[in-house]
Amino acid sequence: MRLHSLALRDFRGVKDRIVRFRALGTTVVVGDNEVGKSSLVEAFGLIFDLPDDSKSTRIKDIQPVGQDVGPEVTAELSLGGRELTYTKRWLKNRSTELTIVEPDGRRQSWTGREAHNEAERLFKQNVDPVLWQTLMVSQGQSLVLPTPADAEPLITAVTAESGTPVDGASMPLVTAVEHEYLRYWTPRGKPTGDFARSAKAVSAAELGAAQALQAMDEVRSDIRRAERLNLDLEDVTARLTDHLAGVEELRERKQATDEILLRRDSVRSRAETGRARLENHTRTRLDRERLLDEVERFTKYETELAARRGDAELVARTAAETVQAAEAALAEVVELKDLRRTDVQAAERRVADLMDRAELDRLIGQQTELVDVRARIAAAGTILDRIKVDDAIVAGLEDARAAVVEARAALAAGVPEVTVRRLGPEPVELTGTGLSATGSSGAGSSGAGMPAAGSPRAGSSAARASGAALSSAGLDGGGSAPAELGFDESAELLVSGELVVGVPGQVEVTVRAGGEAATLRSRVDDAVRRETDLLKKAGVKDVAAARDLLRKADTATAELNEARRTEKSLTSGGDPGERIAVLTARLGVDDEAETEAAGDKQPAVEGVPGQMSLFEEFASPHDTLFDEVASPHGTLFDDFEVPEPKPDDLAGAQRILDAAREALAEAERLLSDAEFAVAQARKAADEDRSEAQNARARSELAGERLAAAVEELEAARAVLDDDAVAAAEAEATTEVEAVLEELTVVQEQADEAGADQVAGELTHALAVATRLQGERDTLRDALRTTEGRLEQSGRDGLATRRDLAELELAAVRAEHESLARRAEAAQRVYETLSRHRAAAQTKYSEPLQTRIESLGRSVYGPTFRVWLDDDLAVAERELDGVRLRVDALSTGAQEQLAIITRLAISHLVSTGEGSVPVIFDDALGWSDKARLRDMGALLGRAGDHGQVIVLTCMPDRYEYVPKATFIKLDG
Amino acid sequence: MDSLTFLHSSDWQLGMMRRFLGPDGQARWGQARLDAVARIGAVAERTGAAFVVVTGDVFEHNQVERQTILRACEALKRIPVPVVLLPGNHDALEPGSLWTSSQWLAHAPGHVTVLTETTPFRILPGVEIVGAPWRSRRPLSDPAAPGYAGLEVDPAVDSAAGPATIRILLAHGQLTSLSGGMSEVPTIDQAAMEAAVTDGRLQYVGLGDRHSTTRVTDRIWFSGTQEVTSPEEDAPGNVLKVTIGDGIEVEPIRVGAWHMVDHRVELFDEESITALEDWFAELPDKERTYVRLAGDGSLSLPLLTRLDTIIDAQGEVFASVERWTKFWTVRPAPDAADLESLQLSGPARAAMEELRQALAGGDEGAGAALSLMHRLARDAG
Repeated sequence: MRLHSLALRDFRGVKDRIVRFRALGTTVVVGDNEVGKSSLVEAFGLIFDLPDDSKSTRIKDIQPVGQDVGPEVTAELSLGGRELTYTKRWLKNRSTELTIVEPDGRRQSWTGREAHNEAERLFKQNVDPVLWQTLMVSQGQSLVLPTPADAEPLITAVTAESGTPVDGASMPLVTAVEHEYLRYWTPRGKPTGDFARSAKAVSAAELGAAQALQAMDEVRSDIRRAERLNLDLEDVTARLTDHLAGVEELRERKQATDEILLRRDSVRSRAETGRARLENHTRTRLDRERLLDEVERFTKYETELAARRGDAELVARTAAETVQAAEAALAEVVELKDLRRTDVQAAERRVADLMDRAELDRLIGQQTELVDVRARIAAAGTILDRIKVDDAIVAGLEDARAAVVEARAALAAGVPEVTVRRLGPEPVELTGTGLSATGSSGAGSSGAGMPAAGSPRAGSSAARASGAALSSAGLDGGGSAPAELGFDESAELLVSGELVVGVPGQVEVTVRAGGEAATLRSRVDDAVRRETDLLKKAGVKDVAAARDLLRKADTATAELNEARRTEKSLTSGGDPGERIAVLTARLGVDDEAETEAAGDKQPAVEGVPGQMSLFEEFASPHDTLFDEVASPHGTLFDDFEVPEPKPDDLAGAQRILDAAREALAEAERLLSDAEFAVAQARKAADEDRSEAQNARARSELAGERLAAAVEELEAARAVLDDDAVAAAEAEATTEVEAVLEELTVVQEQADEAGADQVAGELTHALAVATRLQGERDTLRDALRTTEGRLEQSGRDGLATRRDLAELELAAVRAEHESLARRAEAAQRVYETLSRHRAAAQTKYSEPLQTRIESLGRSVYGPTFRVWLDDDLAVAERELDGVRLRVDALSTGAQEQLAIITRLAISHLVSTGEGSVPVIFDDALGWSDKARLRDMGALLGRAGDHGQVIVLTCMPDRYEYVPKATFIKLDG
Repeated sequence: MDSLTFLHSSDWQLGMMRRFLGPDGQARWGQARLDAVARIGAVAERTGAAFVVVTGDVFEHNQVERQTILRACEALKRIPVPVVLLPGNHDALEPGSLWTSSQWLAHAPGHVTVLTETTPFRILPGVEIVGAPWRSRRPLSDPAAPGYAGLEVDPAVDSAAGPATIRILLAHGQLTSLSGGMSEVPTIDQAAMEAAVTDGRLQYVGLGDRHSTTRVTDRIWFSGTQEVTSPEEDAPGNVLKVTIGDGIEVEPIRVGAWHMVDHRVELFDEESITALEDWFAELPDKERTYVRLAGDGSLSLPLLTRLDTIIDAQGEVFASVERWTKFWTVRPAPDAADLESLQLSGPARAAMEELRQALAGGDEGAGAALSLMHRLARDAG
């Protein structure tokens, strides 16, 4: 196919344009974006694809927007040697016109649908769609490497070039072979489908058959085992039978020998009896011999012991005497010691007496002094007790006196003074209160004679008042009012209260002092009362006496204190009285003598020297009591006697005491020696005595035993005398020897008959029989078990099972073998065919590869090589010795390779009927300047063989294309 | 004396499997073997036989499945006269023997006697059966000898009146003369046995183990199996009717219904294939016939394909048709015409040519591949 021209009207943005292409060579259509370059390609596609009445959106899309016009395309092209002019208008004023000029010049025209159909038919007939698609590179597709294997014109071309015949009729065969292969094998060559399943079935059947076979093998081995067991069982049974016969024989033999053994037992028992009797007789003889021996031995022994007893008793007696002598000596020494102790005690007592006496004297003196002092203390205390006056009381008294004087004076001045005088016989009675007689009254005796008058109540009260008045009057020297006036008596009274002067039966005068008077009166009374109280309290008559007493009290106090100090010093060592009482009691009877002797005290002390000489005179020996035991020193004190000391000679007494003590110590030493001697003597005596007792006891025992032995011997002899004993023994010995001889004979018989072995043999034989029986039973059990198992195998039909399993195995095996044969055949065919196809493919690819490489070398130089895959697509490229997969190349290189491949394909098919233009829409966008030059040259050369159409907006990319026709499209 | 008629059969081998028959054929064949037993019953009735003896291998194994035993018992019941069975090598009286199993003992019909001893069994007045039952699969000596070892020569044998007692020996085993010395177990001492017949101790010897009816002497016979078991057997499927009177008369009567056939063909052209087709067509009882084909020759690919089709189709008609692998050497012989007719070109043609040459070089696999490719190309074309 050659495209000569394309005319577009109202097509997208194109109003009206016609573009003419060179039938051979390269046409570069240059135009800016959107100017309609791609529309040219699109229009060419549409005119063949869609009829004029098409409602396709592709048609709607090409209508200029907003214009109600019909897009129209006219294409002029050569197709299979014909020249076509094909016009189509869609949407508005639809029309289709086709005019064909045959090679022979005939011209034909179609319109409408017929025109479309005819054009479509011609196109399909002459243009291989794959090749068309391959060589028409629309925008953005320039990188895609073509895979042209299915493009018939290419195949035809390469076939023609390679010289290999066309494989047209083989394609269905290839499919069939592959299909057959895949029935049995996976694409990777593994068994699959029925073939694989049958292999598995064979394995399973083999397993089943093996198991069934094994089961039968077990059955067979069980049969063999059972056969063997049967044989063994027969053998053992036979042996057992034989053996049992032997056992029976042994049993009979044993019965025979048992008789001999019985006899031997009887003789044996007799021999034992005889031997026992002999032993009895021998024992009797030995007993007798022992008795005789004992009697002899005990007699001798008894005599020895009696002698030893006499000796021991003598020794014991001597020892007892020694003890008595020692004890007597000890008693004497004890006595001496007692005497010495008495002396010591007397001396001690004397010393104590002397010391007590001295103490008593001192105490008595002290006591006398103490009595005196205490008498003084008592006297001073008495005085002080009597005196109740002190400095405060005296001061109080003086104040009270002053107050009385002051109050009286005030009263005297303030109250009426009444003077009453009895003039007649008539008694005049004076009663009242607050009355006091003035000093001037002359009634010194009147008070005493005044009787109690008036009513008891009034009289008593008046009397008291008058008494008080009188008393107070008496104390301060004033007179109180008399109750009655004697004849001619008068009373001058100061009335501070009320005065009633009555003459019974005659008159009664009442004088009352005014208010003032009563107050004054009470003041006086108070002062007097206070003074009186004080005086009473002090126990004095008046103030002067009080002062006197105060002085006396001071003196007594001083004395008392001094006496107390003295007493305290005297009693600091305790009450001398008690001590005196103790000493007095101790001295006791000497009290009086001492009292008397107090006067002789001095002369006693003077007599001390005389007494010492007297003491020395006593030291002369006159006692021989201790001759036997006395020590050599003993003589020093033999004549010692406690001297009578002179009274009050304390030092002398002390010395006497020391001497006495020394003598006592000596006596004690003597005593301990004597005691030791006694103890020794006693011990020796005890030992000798017990020795004597032992000797006696032993002697007595020996006597007893001798008596017993003699008695026993007598008794034995009474039963059997000594000669008879010996005879009996000899007889028993003979008897035993005879029986033993008989036993030997019987034993020989038994040995001869093997009697002792038979029992053992029988036992052994029985054991063997038992073992054989056990063996037989074991075999029988094993046989039964095996037979049982076989019975079960029979029930299970194991042989049938095995046969079935083998049958099954044979069947699946046969099937598998058949399948395997078929699979192998399929594989063989598949592999053989594939190998041949691959070889052919390699041959086909060679022209294309050569063409690509030749074109490529003009761009890349002589090291450029390519490899094609089964689909004739470029798979790898080598440059300068570096081989790379296509997808590993740079984008530019990929694009260049794609263009080169297309040009090569175009070149290959250009000569054939089915050639098509190569159309590049906007390619080479990825190539650099240097490459562009080379690619340009390539494109130019490609134009030598075919029609190349380049659509671009970058004309400079193609400026190196030689002999290219440039067509500029304007907007 | 009156003549005695009885039937002699052997080698029933009930429970036997034949793998070449396929499951369906196996079932039918197994049933046929039982049917043949039943037919023996019919023969006994028809011929007035006094009893039936079976000389060994009644069962295929001691461990056959229960079904086989029960069905055998049912078949035995169809025999209206007493039956005497002898244990053979397949069903020896070994431990675990079928004959002592509860399965057999529980179901065995009352008129059936199994010879388990060598003591004479008086089946009728004046008729004794002695047997030599197999006690093991591997006897150590002449398996028949124990059956007649204890017999004494009847002094009356030479008298014209004949023997007072008719003695029939039942034995199982191979005769050296017939086994060709290939037997694994001791064979029967034929001379001794014939001597026992000659001196009148035995009036008839019924043998088993050989599946083809075989006359050894007038009085010594193999009855053969009641139904064929292998194509090698030349006279199977009979029961012997034995009549002992003044002399002896033995008559084979067919009771089998199956055929097992070996067929040998030479295949080299279309005609030979047609001849084979005709041969198949003429065979009777096809559904009860097993054919084992031995073949030699070479065929063009289309003829080979046709042969396959024929054998395949006959396999459906017959009980079984089998290529006898050992003797099947039919080769494809593709000629140039075959290939040209396929109009192959390019790689396909090259591939086929390669296979053809490999086949010519003796590559068996190439033959199958070539046939396949031929078929595929033909179908694809």
